[in-house]
Amino acid sequence: MSRRALVALVRKDLVLELRGSEVVLAMVAFVVASFVLFRFGLGGGRPAGGTRAATGMLWVAIVFTAMLALTRSFAREREHGIWDGLLAAPIDRALLWLARACSTCIFLVAVQVVALPAFWLFFLQDGPAPDYGVLVAAVLLADVGIAALGSLVAGLASAGRAREVLLPVLFLPFAIPLVLGAVSATTGTISPQTSGLHTLERLGYLGLYDTVFVLFGWGLFEFVVED
Amino acid sequence: MRRFGERAALDGLDLRVGEGEFVLVTGPNGAGKTTLLRVLATVLRPSAGDVRVGGHELPRAAHRARPLVGYVAHGPLTYPGLTARENLELYAALYGVPDGLVGRALDRVGLDARGGDLVAEFSRGMAQRLALARACLHAPALLLLDEPTAGLDADGRDLLREVLAEPGRTVIVSTHEPGWFAGLATTEVPIRDGRVAA
Repeated sequence: MSRRALVALVRKDLVLELRGSEVVLAMVAFVVASFVLFRFGLGGGRPAGGTRAATGMLWVAIVFTAMLALTRSFAREREHGIWDGLLAAPIDRALLWLARACSTCIFLVAVQVVALPAFWLFFLQDGPAPDYGVLVAAVLLADVGIAALGSLVAGLASAGRAREVLLPVLFLPFAIPLVLGAVSATTGTISPQTSGLHTLERLGYLGLYDTVFVLFGWGLFEFVVED
Repeated sequence: MRRFGERAALDGLDLRVGEGEFVLVTGPNGAGKTTLLRVLATVLRPSAGDVRVGGHELPRAAHRARPLVGYVAHGPLTYPGLTARENLELYAALYGVPDGLVGRALDRVGLDARGGDLVAEFSRGMAQRLALARACLHAPALLLLDEPTAGLDADGRDLLREVLAEPGRTVIVSTHEPGWFAGLATTEVPIRDGRVAA
């Protein structure tokens, strides 16, 4: 694996995003708007299901927000015909997937810097503070899973003519176990906090999910991008 | 052979290009010229048959063939939102070429003064020059060019001619203007319906 090529590919995504602001701003607007809609939809109060229902809403909103980035993922390369240039380069094609997963992960973290405080403000402001360390670990592990799965599926969907339709159809079913794990892990960070063993178990579940889809992404992307 | 669904874009095409040859591939639209170049550039897998680039069998040894090939496609294969220099630096990283060669490559195609400009601001001809710089950045042994004269002004065409006249390289060009390559090309291969025309 060429570290220089990986860094160059990720840096390219970040530079294009900083110049064009195509994705991250739209994601922030989308996730905050989702919280506002949930808030008004619930009549301005806490959801009836308590903390678990609230964190469920958080992760559903984040997964849908991630799809905004994933829909645009590889679209630029396809629209401008750059894809052939990347495929002809003497690098492992899995590197293209890894670079896109890294940039998607960075975009998700940037969005969550705004989304998580907004979420707490809307739904849990009168509750106790979470265990920040575990919360950050859970969020990062979930982000890696979303980025790994999403970049693989986005590569597959980008080859089709109906990628905007194909992406959610392929992505959402595989994201269900991730959402369940992320909701469980996030809920566990809020009082009454679970024991250390339970916390480790929940983080371990997310880590296992990440490992599976990182291996799938690395192993399958070569075949996914073949015309 | 290369199929797209039921349609065979290349079908029984038999062609051997020796080291240092300059081959023109001609034929009507849809004859299979672009597909042939994309297969040789390792972008498309052949559906069947035996394809070798530099002795490396495709697609099995595509990773060995890729460093040998420079590919100029219909489009420039560059990001409009990046500058010319940033685009070449990206490809330099992908091909393992030192960044120091980027300035020389821009200079070679007359874009050294525009290296800091976004490619989105480039004319078709300038983008085509950049494509040539990108394809030659890693000094490939085999240069594949798909309609390289399209969009080039007189200066651009002179530059293209200079680059193509450089010795020590095998060149395969797909073109509708075979006359323009007189004095450069050693062989013309007309293809039709995915095979070499009789």
